[in-house]
Amino acid sequence: MDIQLKRGLLDVCVLAAIKDGESYGYRIIKDLKPCIELSESTLYTILKRLEAAGSLTVRSDEHNGRLRKYYRITASGLRRIEDFKTEWKEVISVYDFVTREDGHE
Amino acid sequence: MNKNEFLAVLKNALSGLPEGDVDERLAFYAEMIDDRMEEGASESEAVAGIGSAEEIAAQVIAETPMTKLVKERIKPSRGLRAWEIALLVLGAPLWFPLLVAAGAVVLSMYVVLWSLIAALWAAELALCAFAAGGIVTAAVYFFKGHSLPGIATLGVALLAAGASVFAFYGCAAATKGIVNLTKKAARGIKTRLVRKDAAK
Repeated sequence: MDIQLKRGLLDVCVLAAIKDGESYGYRIIKDLKPCIELSESTLYTILKRLEAAGSLTVRSDEHNGRLRKYYRITASGLRRIEDFKTEWKEVISVYDFVTREDGHE
Repeated sequence: MNKNEFLAVLKNALSGLPEGDVDERLAFYAEMIDDRMEEGASESEAVAGIGSAEEIAAQVIAETPMTKLVKERIKPSRGLRAWEIALLVLGAPLWFPLLVAAGAVVLSMYVVLWSLIAALWAAELALCAFAAGGIVTAAVYFFKGHSLPGIATLGVALLAAGASVFAFYGCAAATKGIVNLTKKAARGIKTRLVRKDAAK
């Protein structure tokens, strides 16, 4: 898959995982498992990228006597998910058109 | 491998990166290991689940932009002490001209190399001019009816023309060689820089 496309998909996947409330690293990986297998290193890079882009915010909180980082989606992050949805509706209609052509040949 | 060993290996392998970045990454992996253990995994299982520290480090370094690695490499590992700064400033009249001189020597060596090439091309041009001049002179001799010196001059001119063809290929090859050498030197400097960081 095209690397730029894959990067965009991964970003939206992680955003979708924190869409309904804040989450932490290990839970994001577990929640995404049915959809995509993420390694810890890959997740780290994506979280950093999303934070820099202002799509999510990070806070540290105590959990069982240690610190855990929690990630919360921002308004701009939510907008990115919406953009993704409309964009991919177009992509899917293009896909339908292309495969329909295949059938006629 | 337990958690602390894993983090120590990772920290060591990432030492070419800025300290803040490394600490943040280590905290991230530590949290992942703790969360796995909290879910019931043993410490060694949790560490094994993360993967090899060396491979993670290699991936991180590959993803880090070249400029960041270079900056980290140039940066001194600790702040300069007062007497070191004083020495640097006081020594400036000594080390600065030396630095400039060293740079000038390297530059002049490069210039000499290129002037050699220029000289080669000048010789080639001279051969061509000589051949052309010889042919004109020979024509003048023939025109005036002196056929013997005419033939001799024409012979020499043709020899020069032939030699100039060979010399042209020689000059072209030498120029190409120098251009390649310059490229190789630039590439060599870059890879050395990366390799040092990756090996750390």
